[in-house]
Amino acid sequence: MKKYFLLVVALVLVASMLVGCSSEPKSVLDKINEAKKVVVGTSADYPPYEFLDEAGNKTGFDIDLMTEIAKRMGVELEWVDMPFDSLVAAVDSGKLDMSISCFNYDEERDKTVDFSTAYYTTEDAFVVNSTFTGSVVKPEDVANYKVGVQSGTVQDSWLTDNLVTPGLLPEANLSRYERVDQAALDLANGRIEVLMADYVPVQALVAQNPDLTVVYHGELSTGPINIVLPDGDTALKTEVDRIIKELQDEGFIDQLAVKYFSE
Amino acid sequence: MDFGQFISYIASGTVYTVGVTLVALPSGLLIGTILALLYVYGGKAAARVMNLYSTVFRGIPPLVLLFILYFAVTKGINLSAFWAGSLSLGIVSSAYQMEIVRGALLSVSGDQLMAARAIGLSRLQAIRYVVLPQAVRLAIPPWSNEAAIVIKDSSLVYALGVPEILRRAQLIGASSQRYLLAYLSAAVIYFLLVFGTTRLLAMLEKKLTIPSNP
Repeated sequence: MKKYFLLVVALVLVASMLVGCSSEPKSVLDKINEAKKVVVGTSADYPPYEFLDEAGNKTGFDIDLMTEIAKRMGVELEWVDMPFDSLVAAVDSGKLDMSISCFNYDEERDKTVDFSTAYYTTEDAFVVNSTFTGSVVKPEDVANYKVGVQSGTVQDSWLTDNLVTPGLLPEANLSRYERVDQAALDLANGRIEVLMADYVPVQALVAQNPDLTVVYHGELSTGPINIVLPDGDTALKTEVDRIIKELQDEGFIDQLAVKYFSE
Repeated sequence: MDFGQFISYIASGTVYTVGVTLVALPSGLLIGTILALLYVYGGKAAARVMNLYSTVFRGIPPLVLLFILYFAVTKGINLSAFWAGSLSLGIVSSAYQMEIVRGALLSVSGDQLMAARAIGLSRLQAIRYVVLPQAVRLAIPPWSNEAAIVIKDSSLVYALGVPEILRRAQLIGASSQRYLLAYLSAAVIYFLLVFGTTRLLAMLEKKLTIPSNP
């Protein structure tokens, strides 16, 4: 009898622990308001969205936008720099409250995290160097050349889904780089013939490298960019979406675009 | 930004590189030495466990262990990126250092242990006073190799955003578009760190050499 009693007690204990774990999850918004601080991740190596200024401080379109969002939430802003690949995992595991780093909506990413409403819309571009003799009239034409892209980006997915998987572009002719600038170096050196990347940072790249030219730009893989939020946290999403809407209506985001993208 | 600022921005990451190394290398040495002693002198069961430990942790890339520790294991616990990185490098290094110390212990001939026992030393005393002093000397050359590897592997913590040398080179490279200069500066700093460390260990090795045992 005593044995069974102990067994029942043990089972109840385990069950209560499990219930304790799965009880109503607190919104990250409550955590942010309690700590009076929001922890935001970014990969500060993507000008003009997020990069370091002369003094080594973070600056850029996303940085200014997030600073204003935190101000309107009435909390302090703590930046955490992390390579782009690690950001979604960090939001998913609760190391970050949210992340702003020129994120496009992506079905795969949507499985583990949520997206805020879009705060801006971007385009893709194909870049070549001065020795390029081919022609890119429509996006699919790049399948005839050696192409470079930043791995894990929406451009990578677009190339893979639209050119590699249907067999138009041989896998061996697609080089995936950890970073866009590494791809740009290889483009300048002639190891790849076409680089596909986000149009806005490409304009900055081309401005700094006279050898590079944009041969095509348009809305292919990319489009709206969003803030990455913890999965299923509606309270936080509602608050962030509300502020983004407010900033769009006031023209704040358009001003930022002019400031950083000189449109 | 002038050249001096550029270099000093990257070089200030040395604090983290040295910090990670100073956690990973000694903790790996401590764990590795204890495990090696257990492996060699702890009997068959202990040897089997240690063999498993060594196989597992030498089989996992440090970066993978680092992600597991930071993103999966510490989901609830707030282990900082620095500590998650340092500890995973320490764990991986401990497996290698265990093999280094084990090799050194085994290269001291078993006859010496027997001789020491014959003149009345206990087993523990014989290991402490006869085998270990010789093994330490034998372990220094391969250990300086491991030290160089840990210094360079410390760059892996960049993946969690620890602002060490490599991450700083990336950031400043991106903002100034001077990538080559940024990565070259990082390479020079790493080289100097590794070069200095291996030179120091070579001096230690020389200092500890037993004259009759060249």
